[in-house]
Amino acid sequence: MNHRTAVTVEHISKSYGSFQAVSDLSFEVFTGEIFALLGPNGAGKSTTIRMILDILKPDTGKIAVLGAPLNDQAKDRIGYLPEERGLYRGVPVLEMMVYLGSLKGMSASAARRGSMALLERLELAEHARKKVSELSKGMQQKVQFAVTVLHDPDLIIIDEPFSGLDPVNTLVVKDLLLDFAKRGKGVIMSTHQMHQIEEMADRLLMIDKGRQALYGTVEEVRQGFALPAVRVEGKGDWASIKAVDHIEMPENGRGEVVLYLKPAATPDMVLGEIASRSDLFIRSFELAVPSLSEIFVAVVQNRPNGKRNGNA
Amino acid sequence: MSRDFWVVFRYELRRNARRIGYLFASFALPLLLIVGLFAYQSILARDLAAQDPQEMAEAVSETFGGDLTAAGFVDFSGLIQAVPDDAAAFMRRYDTVEAGETALTAGEIQVFYIVQADYMETGRIEIVQPTFGLGQLMEQPIVSLLMDAMTEHVEGDRRFRLLDPSNTTFTNLQLTTLGEGSSDDLEGGAFLVVYVFAITLTLSLFMTNGYMMQTVIEEKETRLVEILIATVRPGDLLGGKILAMGLLGLFQVVAWVATLFAAVALAGGSGLADTVGVIGTLANIQISPSILPVLLAYFVLAYLLFAGFYAIISAISNSMREGPQYAVIFTIPAMLPLYFIQAFTTDPNGALPTILSLVPITAPMAMIQRLAVTSVPPLEILISLALLAATVVAVMWLAGRIFRVGVLLAGNMPRLRDIPRLVRG
Repeated sequence: MNHRTAVTVEHISKSYGSFQAVSDLSFEVFTGEIFALLGPNGAGKSTTIRMILDILKPDTGKIAVLGAPLNDQAKDRIGYLPEERGLYRGVPVLEMMVYLGSLKGMSASAARRGSMALLERLELAEHARKKVSELSKGMQQKVQFAVTVLHDPDLIIIDEPFSGLDPVNTLVVKDLLLDFAKRGKGVIMSTHQMHQIEEMADRLLMIDKGRQALYGTVEEVRQGFALPAVRVEGKGDWASIKAVDHIEMPENGRGEVVLYLKPAATPDMVLGEIASRSDLFIRSFELAVPSLSEIFVAVVQNRPNGKRNGNA
Repeated sequence: MSRDFWVVFRYELRRNARRIGYLFASFALPLLLIVGLFAYQSILARDLAAQDPQEMAEAVSETFGGDLTAAGFVDFSGLIQAVPDDAAAFMRRYDTVEAGETALTAGEIQVFYIVQADYMETGRIEIVQPTFGLGQLMEQPIVSLLMDAMTEHVEGDRRFRLLDPSNTTFTNLQLTTLGEGSSDDLEGGAFLVVYVFAITLTLSLFMTNGYMMQTVIEEKETRLVEILIATVRPGDLLGGKILAMGLLGLFQVVAWVATLFAAVALAGGSGLADTVGVIGTLANIQISPSILPVLLAYFVLAYLLFAGFYAIISAISNSMREGPQYAVIFTIPAMLPLYFIQAFTTDPNGALPTILSLVPITAPMAMIQRLAVTSVPPLEILISLALLAATVVAVMWLAGRIFRVGVLLAGNMPRLRDIPRLVRG
C-alpha cells in the first residue's frame, strides 16, 4: 500500500452550543486504502466529514486534505456523497451530471463523455435523458454514486454507499470503490453495514460520543477484541476437554460452540486434544474473534468483553 | 469571480429561463394584458362615442341581451324641455311616478328614471327597474338626455368637450417629464410611473427571487446542497444564482417595456392613443435622461438587497410553504411608502418622505415617489444610494455567512438566538 496521506486530522473539536459533537479527534487516511468511519447515530461522523470538507470549521485542531489545508483546487479532487442525498428532481440525468461535473472543473464535453461512460457501466445509459424524478430509487442511488466519482477524484468520501441498492448493484458499486483504492485513491466510507467494512476496509476509525473509540486496521481491531476462547462446530462432549473452562452455545442456528479456555491454556492445546480423541469430531475450528458488529455493539454499550486494542 | 460562480450562473440562467412560469410571465402575460387593455378601451371608446340616448340605449340593450327596447322618465327638475326626435321612440316621458311605474309593471318600458327636483344641486336620479341591473350603464340614457338638455345652446367642439371632459386630462399630460415635475403631475403620468416602477420592481423581485428561493430550498430539501457547498464556496453558489436571477428579472422588465412600447406604437397607428387612457398616458411620458441612471441604480440595488434577504430566508426555511411567508417581513416595509402616498403628494420634501427615502429598505419606493413630484437635492439622492449600497453589502455578507451553515439545517427553523452562531459558521 502506498502510504501517502490523503487526509490528516489533528486534535479537532467542534461543539454546537453546549453540545460537544467532536472532541480531540485525530486520525490519518492514506491514499490507496479504504478507510471506514463508523459509530452510532449522532456520534459525530457527519460533523467530522463536514469539517474535512471545510463545510464546518473546527473549533480547534488542524485538517490537511491531499497534503495541505483544503483549498479550491483540492476540492475539485474530492468526490463526496453524503448520507442524506438528493438530486434535482426535474432535471434530466445527463444535464445534471454535466453541471455537477463542470463544478468540479471538467469541461462540458469531458463531463458529458465521462457521464455517459459511467452511466453505461452502471447500466443507466438509456435513462440519460430522463428526468431524475422518472427513475426508481435504486437508479437514483446509482446516479448519485456516478456524480460522486464522475471527475475521477483522488479522495472519495462516501456515506452509506450501499443504501438502497440491490445485491447486484451493491456488487457493482463495491467493485468500483475497490478499483478506486487499487488505483491509489483514498476512500473514506461511512457505513453501518459491518460486513462490508470487514470485506472492503483496510483500516477503520470508530467514533463514539465525538471521541475516538477504535482506530487501526480491521484485523488489529478484531484481534484486540479476541476472546480467550475458540469457536468449534462438530460433535462431542466439549466440556470434557482438559484445557476448557466452560462452554457457551450461541443461538445462531449454526451449531457452534464457544469453548472458553482455562488460564494459561492455549488454542493449540485444545486442538491437540480434539485430534487425539476419537469421541470428538470437528467440522470447523477458529479463534473466537468477535465480528465487527459485535465489537460495535460492545463499544457502544460500553461493555468491553475482551482486551482493547492498543490504539483504541 | 471564480469559475464556479460562472458555472452556477450559466446553469441557473438556462434552467430558470426555460421555466414555463417565467416564459409565461415574460411574454404571454404582458401580451394578454395589452390585448385585454385594447379590448376594454375599444369598448369604452365606442361607448363614449355613443352620446345619443338612442345609441346609448342600444349599447345598454346589448349588455342586457337585446331586451331593452324602451325607457321612461319623469322629470321633476324641469331641465328636459323636449326629447329629441331620434330618441323619442325610446325615451318616453311620464308626468307622474305612478304612471311610469304602471308602464314598467305592464312591460311597456324596461327601466324608469325619476329625475328629482333638486337634480341641479344634488344630481339625484332614481332608477326603477324590475330586476337588478348594471347601474353604471343603465343611467347613461337619462344622463345623455340631461346633458343634451343642459348643453343645448353650446355648439360644436365645446359641447363635445363638455360631454367628454376627461380627454382634457390626457392632452395636459403630453409634457409630463419625470424628474422635473411639479406636484400637480402626480395626478397624471408621473403618478403612473411610480406605479409602473412599483409594480415592475415588485413583480420582478417576487418572481425572480422567488425562483431563487425555490432552487435553494429544493437543494436543501433534496440535500443536494451539501454536495454543492462541499464543492462550491457558498458565496459563489449564492452569487451565481443572484446574478442569473437578476438578469432574468431585468430581461423580464425589458420584455414588458418592449411590449408596452409595441402597444403604444400600435395604439398610435390605430388612432387609439388619444382615447386609450393608460396607453395614451404612457405614450406621452418622457423620462429625463438625468433621472434614468438613478432609476436604474435604485432598481439594481433594491433587487440585490432583496436577493440577500431572500437568500437568508431560503437558508433558514425548510420548505416552499415557509419561505414566502417569511419574505413578507421584508416586502411589506419595502412597499410602505405607497401607503403614505398622501404625504408624498402634499409635502414630498417633508420629514416622512425624506426619512423613508433614506431608510434603505423603503428608499427605492420612497425616492421614486419624490422624484415623480419634486426635485430632490442630488446630495440626498447620493446619501440615499450610498446607504442602500452599504446595506446591500452588509446583507450580502450576512446572507453568505448564514447561507453557509443555514442550508445544512434540516427540520428545525433556527431561533433568533441561533442567528449569531450561524453567522459565525
